[in-house]
Amino acid sequence: MSASEIPVPQDPADALAAVVALRRLADQLEDAAVEQAMRAGWSWPQVAEALGVTRQAVHRKHAKRLIAAGVKLRRRSP
Amino acid sequence: MSPIDAYLHTVIMEAATEARRQGSATIEAQHLLLAVAAQEGTAPQRVLASAGLDYQAVLAALDREFDHSLSAVGVSRAAFNLPRPSMPSKRPPDIGATGKLALERAFASAPRKKDLRPAHVLLGILQAEVGTVPRALALAGVDRADLLNRVRDAIAGDGVE
Repeated sequence: MSASEIPVPQDPADALAAVVALRRLADQLEDAAVEQAMRAGWSWPQVAEALGVTRQAVHRKHAKRLIAAGVKLRRRSP
Repeated sequence: MSPIDAYLHTVIMEAATEARRQGSATIEAQHLLLAVAAQEGTAPQRVLASAGLDYQAVLAALDREFDHSLSAVGVSRAAFNLPRPSMPSKRPPDIGATGKLALERAFASAPRKKDLRPAHVLLGILQAEVGTVPRALALAGVDRADLLNRVRDAIAGDGVE
């Protein structure tokens, strides 16, 4: 789908609210996807590269939560 | 701790829990609204309930707003079937931009700090004319102007000296 095919709501309030909702959905999707990958044995560097962010960023954002959830984390990349 | 300080503390702590539950890194106005709606036996909770907004109704209205806003760009939450992520860590969320605005408006709506009542917090939240909260209320068929009047009546009837 090209950018011109993304439906843009006519009302600015709807368009701005869609941005807020998409960010929230993306955050939720990231939480679930990172947890899924780490449970499947991915390493931090792999997850970071797949997300297009630094290893430090992904670790800072998700490590505590996953450790609290009892996910067994790989310490080193293969 | 004065009653209003205790109320503010409880509402902000519970709003932080709501924020975490929804995977939000910040406490926003909608999280404060949920916390206010959950404080049984308080004036603002009674005002919300009188407009049909108990805690569950606020939660449902916010969910509806989320889906409605996504649908405006052709996105459906139902299309995502990933496992639910674990509860975020215990790190307390910071107060976000809309949460800060709601509290600033609450404080500004009382003539003096000692006049501040729990209902002023709801008044601050409801004063937002744009954003998630007014959209959720509109979708739930709630007349925000009427609700604001009810809150002001509750404050006036509370014997503010």
